[in-house]
Amino acid sequence: MQSSKGGGMDRVNRLAVTLVASLIGLFVVAPMFVVVPMSFSSAQSFEFPPPGYWVGYYEKFFETPGWLIPVGNSIFIGSVSAFLTMLLVVPAAFALVRRQFRGKNIVRLAVMLPLMVPSIVMALGYFEFFGIIGLNQTYAAVVLAHTCISIPIAFLVVAATLKGFDRNLERAAISLGANPLQTFALITLPVLRPGFLVALLFAFVHSFDESVIALFISGRDVATLPRKMFDSITVDADPVIAVVSTLLIGVVLIGALIGHYREIAALFSSGRKSGLAHAR
Amino acid sequence: MPAETPTMVARKSLSERFGTLLLVAPVMIFIIAVFIVPLVRMAWLSISDPKLSLDNYVMLFSSALYAKSMLRTFLISLSVTLICIFLAYPLAYYAATRGNLWGRFLLIAAALSFWISFIVRTYAWLVILGNRGPVIDILKTVGFEPAPRVLFTTTATMIGLTHILLPYMILALYSVMTKIDGNLGRAALSLGATPFRSFIKVYFPLTLPGLVNGCVLVFIFCLGFYVTPALLGSPRDLMVAGLIATEVQDLLQWGLASAMAMLLLAITVTLLTIYDRLIGLDRLWG
Repeated sequence: MQSSKGGGMDRVNRLAVTLVASLIGLFVVAPMFVVVPMSFSSAQSFEFPPPGYWVGYYEKFFETPGWLIPVGNSIFIGSVSAFLTMLLVVPAAFALVRRQFRGKNIVRLAVMLPLMVPSIVMALGYFEFFGIIGLNQTYAAVVLAHTCISIPIAFLVVAATLKGFDRNLERAAISLGANPLQTFALITLPVLRPGFLVALLFAFVHSFDESVIALFISGRDVATLPRKMFDSITVDADPVIAVVSTLLIGVVLIGALIGHYREIAALFSSGRKSGLAHAR
Repeated sequence: MPAETPTMVARKSLSERFGTLLLVAPVMIFIIAVFIVPLVRMAWLSISDPKLSLDNYVMLFSSALYAKSMLRTFLISLSVTLICIFLAYPLAYYAATRGNLWGRFLLIAAALSFWISFIVRTYAWLVILGNRGPVIDILKTVGFEPAPRVLFTTTATMIGLTHILLPYMILALYSVMTKIDGNLGRAALSLGATPFRSFIKVYFPLTLPGLVNGCVLVFIFCLGFYVTPALLGSPRDLMVAGLIATEVQDLLQWGLASAMAMLLLAITVTLLTIYDRLIGLDRLWG
């Protein structure tokens, strides 16, 4: 927008918006990063700024089964439930996107339902339900519960991928003599794979981060990482939680760098370009 | 791809119908067994434990403890939603209208925090607001002696919830704002409107769908939020989710806890249904 009239006032306004937006951005980002210095703190409790620095709590994290086992549990539960989610969601998405049938709206609604129920309600329901059938504090219970809440999210991604798929590719394969199975394996699946992987990742992360249901049904034996972190805050104020938090943030940042590599590269090159435009 | 006509549907072969059934049956069986059954059991428990009656529901509305908790939950959710609007709007506006490097950076930062678990973010606030944290230090320096308690209060809950839910509001607003044609504002200006008037009359109404979207998400999340209030809030001033957990874990009041959960569920579903009628549920999650 170019306006010469009232240019000075305009610039003040623009600067004010920039400043306010940046401060709010700081409020979104900065609090998370207090966990980084905290993880190197030598304090026994949650003290900030830290009185001294060491890496002792990193050593403690990598030496304590009480921390490593929940990490393993979360990865295991997340992986199994992500695959189970895809196994259930992909066929249903094919039917809902490509076929017309009676009761279609009911199926669509059923698949989306778990998204509408607050986790505390599901947590209470599962606590009672798995208690009655004797599954509380087992991997099976947590996997089933997490699969259920991941279904809507995975479905949204898979259905969107399927809708964007050009079926002429399949028709071309068939007309060239491929049978339906070959078409699916050689054409359909490879084209859809990126979308499916995103859905798989969403389902995994949804399970990995889920805390409320895990708090109720995972018990000590199959405790997930969020549950262990919750306990470490409420029960023993264990400073190792800062190490775990830092590592988790690190994983997200690395994932973002890999996932958004092109965008980030474009971001920097476009920044340079606009800088050049200014110079000219 | 041409849409299938009703006659094509009618002519569908038996084997194709069987195929559809085979595709849809697994997920339907799973949803019924692992989703519907636990909820129906809970509904039953809410009217049958300890005895078959509506006592639990009567209790919810007649006892001051539960009524207060519900009112508190409602007020906290409303405040957090309003604060989120005021914080998210300038940031989303900046990112959507400037289209510069810094704007995109702010937006990516907001989107990234989606991926960082609630517990990590809540823990960060536990440190910041804690007795030996920077906020208390600053309060002491400024002259509050002894410094007021911040952690384990409703204020702390609201700060934590705002921080966690703000990205939802930012992205909901941003997705609408990027689609607004900048020429509309310019047209208003050229026709003699002041920038403020042009914003209020032209820009703001166009962002309303995103605003409603963000509000529904934030408000509903707030109503049922457990972890953050449990870690940052006061154990005496529980929100509904915290009360449900206490009822069942400490007091073994299954019927009462179930009744409370059913009420929370009913409110959530009602809000989402109204939203669905007005705007359409598909829009809510992009």
